[in-house]
Amino acid sequence: MGSLLDVVDLQTQFVTRGGVVRAVDGVSWDVAEGETVALVGESGCGKSVSALSIMRLVAAPAGRVVGGRILFKGRDLLQLDEESMRRVRGSEIAMIFQEPMTSLNPVLTIGRQITEGLETHLGMAPTAARARAAELLSMVGIPDPARRLPQYPHQFSGGMRQRMMIAMALACEPALVLADEPTTALDVTIQAQILELMKSLSRRLGVAMLMITHNLGIVARYADRVNVMYAGKIIERGTAREIYATPRHPYTLGLLRSVPRLDEPRRARLDPIEGQPPDLTRLPGGCAFAPRCAFRVERCAVETPPLRPIGAPGHVTACWEAERLTAVREPVGGRR
Amino acid sequence: MWKYLVKRFLLMFPTLLGVALLTFVLIRVIPGDVVELRYAGDRGSVSQDVLEKERARFGLDQPLWRQFATWVLGVARLDFGESMWTGAPIWQEIRLRFALSLQVAIMATLVAVVLAIPLGVLAALKQDSWIDYAVRIFSIAGLATPSFWLGIVFILLLLVVFHWLPPMIYTPFWVSPWENLKQLIWPALAVGYRYSAVATRMTRSAMLEVLREDYIRTARAKGLVQRLILARHALKNAMLPVLTVVALEFAFLIGGLVVTEQVFNLNGLGLLFVQAVAHRDYTLIQALVMLVAGVFIVVNFLMDIGYAWIDPRIRYR
Ligand SMILES: Nc1ncnc2c1ncn2[C@@H]1O[C@H](COP(=O)(O)OP(=O)(O)O)[C@@H](O)[C@H]1O
Ligand SMILES: [Mg+2]
Repeated sequence: MGSLLDVVDLQTQFVTRGGVVRAVDGVSWDVAEGETVALVGESGCGKSVSALSIMRLVAAPAGRVVGGRILFKGRDLLQLDEESMRRVRGSEIAMIFQEPMTSLNPVLTIGRQITEGLETHLGMAPTAARARAAELLSMVGIPDPARRLPQYPHQFSGGMRQRMMIAMALACEPALVLADEPTTALDVTIQAQILELMKSLSRRLGVAMLMITHNLGIVARYADRVNVMYAGKIIERGTAREIYATPRHPYTLGLLRSVPRLDEPRRARLDPIEGQPPDLTRLPGGCAFAPRCAFRVERCAVETPPLRPIGAPGHVTACWEAERLTAVREPVGGRR
Repeated sequence: MWKYLVKRFLLMFPTLLGVALLTFVLIRVIPGDVVELRYAGDRGSVSQDVLEKERARFGLDQPLWRQFATWVLGVARLDFGESMWTGAPIWQEIRLRFALSLQVAIMATLVAVVLAIPLGVLAALKQDSWIDYAVRIFSIAGLATPSFWLGIVFILLLLVVFHWLPPMIYTPFWVSPWENLKQLIWPALAVGYRYSAVATRMTRSAMLEVLREDYIRTARAKGLVQRLILARHALKNAMLPVLTVVALEFAFLIGGLVVTEQVFNLNGLGLLFVQAVAHRDYTLIQALVMLVAGVFIVVNFLMDIGYAWIDPRIRYR
């Protein structure tokens, strides 16, 4: 499998009145052709900013990619001029956003919002584009597409709108789709439907996907590999199976424990990770997770742990104490 | 959609009736009436008897409710009666002046919209750049400059630089468009500038708000060209509040240009209004208020249609 996207040492910052927010702080990861890679972490850890950096849509002038490379099919997207980058957006890399309610234009028909991409990137004539749009709608499971095309977003439910976002994203057959928490805003029952749809479409069309989520539970089922992110950094990476079965970072462990599990329906309460993520304007030295970590040792507050291989090939963790985590996947361990 | 528009349309009538009642009562609260004013010069020399007779001639001796009913029934038949001061039919008094005021208002609106939309969009796009500051200064100056003063400046400039003055006599557009425009373009520009300032500021702030919306980010992520994002995705949404400002301002211009009309020697509705009040010419005042209110209400109705046209969420309600 060749690498489709290679993010190398990406750094994205926001200049705010409170200081410089290091939202993405020297992050490297990659996506192979056709692969689904997850980017997981609590809210505010830099997932959306990572995706927006790849699209080069970080809100300027406050936000800026200040370092690193984003190699897509060998080209560094950060070096492209604006016009070349525009041609990449939507046609080679597409994005699906979290809020289906606000991400569609309320005053334009669904048909218009799908066909405009086709007309822009593929130079389709209006009639051909409309036919293709109808095809796309039925592909994402919207019945009676011909009747639906002239309708407006407010005439659809949240789940339906997210299906349309997916149709829009896939319209020009991109090689990569960045899905930023595509189901977070939806009902639980709808979530599974949408995820299944995305999974089957990505398989069928061979599209690679970056699946952003804060729910590690989703990851096990829908991703090939997982990057766990904390305070702007990747702190663990491995195959979904590995991460799920043998997490090697206390933060990952915490995330897993905070996921509702279907095989333990009667568990009294979930364990959210205690404490708050750090302020990204003044990160302390050492491991950013240390203040919240039950496995903390003295070294953690002073020396920042680098990503290092552990266990199975491809599994890396940024924790000095990773070895101690071996058998603590299930309850108690050293917490509390 | 039709239900919405029909509802809006029907709502126009009770509104007009309310305006009629309010006007009718309010102008009678002002002390003095047309008879008193007309004979004011001969105070004392005219007997009470004559005054009563005059009042009876205008029906002012009738109970208020009857006066009101007579008037409203007339209005319903589009008969506004005669001016109490001149005795001429109201419609004849108003016709040309209304045409003139309407034309100035329409031209000023065109001036305003043509200036405001590009400037507002540009300022929003280049927020905090020198272009933005230039536009903001231009529009603040517009708000601070009285239209009549700008009108005087125009006249002086035309006189000093081109040794030319706009025509002083009104020629209806249908008689000679050229003569007509030569006269009316100047007040339209003077009024349009201030008007455009209001609309520019609204366009700018609406655009700034819309450009922050999620769907604009979606449009960017689709790789659309900037022009399309602005014209199709942003502008259409930003036009809703702009439409409101433009419509309300337009309605104001119909009867509100008293001083500017004086400066350009225009016989518009503004001056007529002032005179009518000074003379306590009840029938004329009532007709004028109804006319302006009518314009207001019609413009509002058109605005509602505009809203529905732009925003499908209204259309499908
Ligand atoms: N426009 C912005 N201005 C300032 N800070 C921002 C902006 N967008 C995001 N951030 C900051 O960057 C960090 C990462 O945000 P984000 O990537 O949206 O988190 P998430 O992982 O929940 O998607 C957060 O701390 C957030 O406060
Ligand atoms: Mg996010």
